[in-house]
Amino acid sequence: MSTRPIYLDYAATTPIDPRVAEVMSQYLTADQDFGNAASMQHDYGRAAHAAVEEAREQVANLIGAEPAEIVWTSGATESNNLAIKGVAESYADRGRHIISMKTEHKSVVDTLRYMEQQGWRVTWLMPDDQGRLSLEELKKAISDDTVLVSIMMVNNETGVIQDIRLIAEMAHAHGALLHVDAAQAVGKIPVNVKMLDLDLLSISAHKLYGPKGVGALYVRRQPRVRLLPQMHGGGHERGMRSGTLPVHQIVGMGKACALLGEEFGNEAVRISKLRDQLWQGISLLPDVFRNGSDKEVAPGILNISFGGVDGEALHAGLSGMSLPIAISSGSACTAASQEASYVLRALGRDDELAYASVRFSLGRWTTDSEIYAVVEALTELVNALRRQSPKWDIQTECRLPEMSGTHAQYSDAVWQNFVKGLNTAWEMPETAFKVICNTPGSRAVMKLVVLVEQEVIVSAQCQVFGCVTAIAVGAWLSAWLKGRQVAGLDLSAAEIEQALSVAPVKRHCTLLAEDALRMFLQVGRQSNGIDQLVAS
Amino acid sequence: MPIYFDHNATTSIDAIVLEAMQPFLSGTFGNPSSLHRFGRDARAAIDRAREKVAVLAGAHAGQVVFTSGGTEANNMAVKGVTGLMKPGRVLISAIEHPSVLEVEDALLARGWQVDFIPAKANGQIDLDALRVMIEAGDVCLVSVMVVNNETGVVQAINEVAEIVKSAGALFHCDAVQAAGKLDFRFIDSGAHLMSLSSHKIYGPKGVGALIIDKSLDIEPLLHGGGHERGLRAGTENMPAIVGFGAAAELAEKSLSERAAHCSALRTQLENGLAVLPGIQIFGQDSERLPNTSQFSVPGYDGESLLMALDREGIAVSSGSACSSGKGEPSHVLLAMGIEEAAARGAIRVSFGKDNTSQEVDEFLTVLGRLLGHSEQPLADRFSGVMGHS
Repeated sequence: MSTRPIYLDYAATTPIDPRVAEVMSQYLTADQDFGNAASMQHDYGRAAHAAVEEAREQVANLIGAEPAEIVWTSGATESNNLAIKGVAESYADRGRHIISMKTEHKSVVDTLRYMEQQGWRVTWLMPDDQGRLSLEELKKAISDDTVLVSIMMVNNETGVIQDIRLIAEMAHAHGALLHVDAAQAVGKIPVNVKMLDLDLLSISAHKLYGPKGVGALYVRRQPRVRLLPQMHGGGHERGMRSGTLPVHQIVGMGKACALLGEEFGNEAVRISKLRDQLWQGISLLPDVFRNGSDKEVAPGILNISFGGVDGEALHAGLSGMSLPIAISSGSACTAASQEASYVLRALGRDDELAYASVRFSLGRWTTDSEIYAVVEALTELVNALRRQSPKWDIQTECRLPEMSGTHAQYSDAVWQNFVKGLNTAWEMPETAFKVICNTPGSRAVMKLVVLVEQEVIVSAQCQVFGCVTAIAVGAWLSAWLKGRQVAGLDLSAAEIEQALSVAPVKRHCTLLAEDALRMFLQVGRQSNGIDQLVAS
Repeated sequence: MPIYFDHNATTSIDAIVLEAMQPFLSGTFGNPSSLHRFGRDARAAIDRAREKVAVLAGAHAGQVVFTSGGTEANNMAVKGVTGLMKPGRVLISAIEHPSVLEVEDALLARGWQVDFIPAKANGQIDLDALRVMIEAGDVCLVSVMVVNNETGVVQAINEVAEIVKSAGALFHCDAVQAAGKLDFRFIDSGAHLMSLSSHKIYGPKGVGALIIDKSLDIEPLLHGGGHERGLRAGTENMPAIVGFGAAAELAEKSLSERAAHCSALRTQLENGLAVLPGIQIFGQDSERLPNTSQFSVPGYDGESLLMALDREGIAVSSGSACSSGKGEPSHVLLAMGIEEAAARGAIRVSFGKDNTSQEVDEFLTVLGRLLGHSEQPLADRFSGVMGHS
């Protein structure tokens, strides 16, 4: 894989803008302002301090806050943790109830789960099928002992925008504070904390072309929001967050915000247009579903579920093509867990569609030609996977983009057979013998079609709906069967596992092939010779 | 070019470290949690950095959890361990960094009792007192730093570990100032948790690590996303982690060379100071970090002296940068029983690998002049001098 993949995962992280990197690189080495911003006793420290304060102003300006309302953190995860725990511990005497949504980012969900363990009551509101929070639901849940409402402004998986101003109104009417996770919103849609009447707002730098490892929490001063610190020692950030400030990262975040202040309007228009082109292209395929509202949505995010394909095979295919595409199935923070997205399930998608979803997120360096190439490659891949699948009946020819290289997650043999499976043209006569089976504990389905002449297998083909390994096993089995005598034919799952170096976690795929083969043999024996059955 | 003698506050980034970080500021920008190639490249880089930090710490890579710095590591250690226990007692040495000391409030709020282990005049913590405190029972956690950030005095960590072990308690040591300056290894230390920081060893700010004995249950400080084996949520700070790894590798390689260099500078400094009347060097009779010397000039206010030195282009500090500007005398010196007047006059010089003998000479000359060994009376040279004599 020598080609650099097309990057459509800006919601996971953005590259650092070169203009930002340039500023950051002035606060590092011995000949620069590398000092500790708390060392007010000498020039090195004061220069660092001045840089930090300028950045604070830049961040504040972008969201309409006062500089003194900005607290530096290590990122949006810490901002979310600090906002929720800090408010809860500070206002516990007012009540012990928090309201949030099912579709929040992990760093809010997990923090609230922790609060539940600490004896807090958390109401988890469901979005409607567009991903939007219904104010009616909020109204029903909120009461005078509600201390905090925490709602994200733009969802990281679907891009859906919540009506934060109305939510703020309702929260304040009941004396509750409103925290907004705006990690995906700031720099993409207009965010003004005063106009929205917000109490707390989390921002991340690495989602807006700044560096990783830094974020901010807006903490309202008037009326003042009280926050118990979660990181103690030294009293940095007016006692709200201790720890030596990472000056180069902070100036990077400041610069990134300043750039957005100037450029974000044009950028949002350009990216929205590209996103719409992408959707227009993909929506020509049958059985594709856009997840979340197509009106109240941030410019760069498009989330689509593909019917009739397996999520893992889809993603492996996208990254394995000669023109690979870097996308995600949802939040990067849950990517490794391989679960179907809880956000999409909350929108009412079934597991299969939630699993076979792709989040495209576009950004500053996405081009027309990239979008065009992605539509073309994706269309071919989805068609090829569906042609493979016994659940679909696609006879059209697919020009699948070349699949290249190896893929770290799979053995070479699995990967090569997967690619071979996708590129096999369907050429079995109607008279061939067919069995279809699935296996417990897996969604995979295998259709084995065998052509037998005089007790010898002349040709065999497998159609598989399932993951990369299932498709690979199908392709391998077809090749293995060809030319063998039916009499005495036997093949165990263990042998397939060994032949393809299948990972133990994918054993259900080899069992599926074993089942298919045994079913073929069993039905054949019961009916007095396979030859007779073939024609039926 | 001004003279920088404040390396215990922070260090500049080494050119080699910067070079290692550079690709991660531009091309290799992926989110390490992403499964695509950008993400996998980032993940691999983190794993390499983890190995390097583990080598410096004398730990296994699997024991390294990256944090946003030493402060977070200290908070995570003390709050995390106690968070999963029935409240009991925590012992913290009186000379700890504020990031350990100030966790007290959070512990009290959760029903814990916090007691402070006293220090002796030589800058070491009082082991006899520790034994008595431990014997009183109910101690779940003890936190003692490997070396003090102000005096540089090295603590008897192995003995502390023995005492803590005898009570079946857990032991956290803050090695932020020790790492890279002292041959100190987690596996030999008897500690269960150890904090590290990158920006004290010519790595970038914004990253540190907590070394955690894997048999330990610990409550995360930051929730969400399950990064770092579920112990520390948040997208990894890629360039900084890579820089930390490179800095750790360099520190490990050049540890004895750097120590010898700084030690020679300090000998030169302290020989020069001995000529000036009445200068008191703190913890001089104890084993100290080779790069650190904290002393007081009788009759002078440290802050004012610092300002005067600053005007002469010399950057030193009175103690911890984290408590600078508060006008309070060092809690470390007070805990050692140093008189408040002397504590107020404290200056900390902390050398780095790039300081030179000429710089030490210049510092001594300037200090001598400021202290009245010049044609102009000191009082005219800077205001705010407080005479205590």
